[in-house]
Amino acid sequence: MNNNIIQLENVTISFRVPHEKIPTFQEYAIRWLKRRRVSYTYFNALNNVSFSVKKGDTVGIIGSNGAGKSTLLKVIAQVIRPNQGRLYVEGRIAPLLELGAGFDYELTGRENIFLNGAILGFSRKNIADRLESIMEFSGIGEFIDAPIRTYSSGMVARLGFAIATDTQPDILIIDEILAVGDTDFQKKSAKRILQYHNDGSTILVVSHNLDSIKNLCNHVIWLEHGLVKNTGPVDDILNQYLQKDHPAD
Amino acid sequence: MPKYDSAKRPPLIIDEFFQLIRYRDLVILIIENILKSRYKRSTLGIFWMLLNPLLQTIVLTIAFGTMFKSSLPNYAVYLLCGLLIWNYITQTTQYAMVSMTQGGGLLRRIYIPRATYIVASAGNGLINLLVSIASLAIIIFFLNHPITLSWFFLPISILILTMFTLGFALLLSTAAVFFNDTVDIYQVLTQALFFLTPIMYPPSILPTEIGKYLIWNPIIPLIDIFRIPIYNNTLPDMDIIIKAIILATIMLIVGWTLFTNKADQVIYRL
Repeated sequence: MNNNIIQLENVTISFRVPHEKIPTFQEYAIRWLKRRRVSYTYFNALNNVSFSVKKGDTVGIIGSNGAGKSTLLKVIAQVIRPNQGRLYVEGRIAPLLELGAGFDYELTGRENIFLNGAILGFSRKNIADRLESIMEFSGIGEFIDAPIRTYSSGMVARLGFAIATDTQPDILIIDEILAVGDTDFQKKSAKRILQYHNDGSTILVVSHNLDSIKNLCNHVIWLEHGLVKNTGPVDDILNQYLQKDHPAD
Repeated sequence: MPKYDSAKRPPLIIDEFFQLIRYRDLVILIIENILKSRYKRSTLGIFWMLLNPLLQTIVLTIAFGTMFKSSLPNYAVYLLCGLLIWNYITQTTQYAMVSMTQGGGLLRRIYIPRATYIVASAGNGLINLLVSIASLAIIIFFLNHPITLSWFFLPISILILTMFTLGFALLLSTAAVFFNDTVDIYQVLTQALFFLTPIMYPPSILPTEIGKYLIWNPIIPLIDIFRIPIYNNTLPDMDIIIKAIILATIMLIVGWTLFTNKADQVIYRL
């Protein structure tokens, strides 16, 4: 796989959408007795998507709403399995798609660090070793032993970010440019991401903010209706995107 | 460096198993959190776990104990043995279904092994069973019911029961994801099955024309392998043990295979 850290070959994600909803046994049985088959339509969220990302690249993913950007990130993060095609990923992924996924609001900040850490695939011992640094970066301070239902939403997001990014990942996946916590924390988190980038992490970003894509990325993938419209260096693709799709802008 | 290649993914039934081992700390944490959240807030704490089956047994013994005085001496022991196993199977499976359908949103947001919640439910149920055995021991102590070497068979019984329960939970959870009314149907069916299973009564009270169908009740051998060593102080007959083992093995294989093969679609359905 030479030096590609991520490689997708003809990846297709199709959702089966039934024309009529039959979510119960009861209705299913009635239909079966009446010998009425359920008809489905298939919706391709991603259609034959192929591209590769080299180690250390910073890749922006652009496209209008419903183009399949978030689905693509979920495929790479292995949340959704492709129906067809092949996905190859090398290295540990830090998905910043859902900060604090699985947080239990009745548990304390400390307990949630372990829970969220385990959800991200870390062992308990590994989290215990890094507990101090996570707590410090999150800036939660003395509230760490209070249930997180007492936290502000900014504090919850800060804690989630601190856990997800505590160790340097090989691949960092970011959905929308992070707006975590207050301005200070936003600066701090942006600094950390840049640091990881300089240290060799590969970064994938989905954003509608073309300026931040331009600043952060060297490569862009342009998706439209689940298809790759074009890929290439950031300036070329952004120009095409602005001209062809948004002539009015 | 970990590598993932969808083309080189091992068969689903094996893949899920290895993923669960990789995420074992998560499974353990979820079990701890279930126990914590359930017992942290009540002042009785862990004693509630002991008290609950005790109270249940006392009430039912007062109500029915005299009826079976001659056929079932130490009725409370007989009753509680059956109840513990019945509760273990039904509560675990129901908990698994609910945590899969309601808590399963997490599966759509981040990768964790799809069976995580179900295995955690089974683990939680097993801990509840082990704690309840302590309350059974209290009753045995008070009634002066004999304890013999046949108790050494219990770890095997519990292993068989756990295999069955996990398999059943996987099967039902898969169904629950695809059909919303699984939980409701299951509740009605288990209620009926409860009265068709000799838990509160001895099998001998059933009229023969009904009694002969009892061999088709799959729960009976599963209760027997636990109840006979404790209540009758002997080992269960070989044919009961074999029945229970076959049943548990088939259930686990069917449940595991079905779940792991449908697990990728679960994401689209939750």
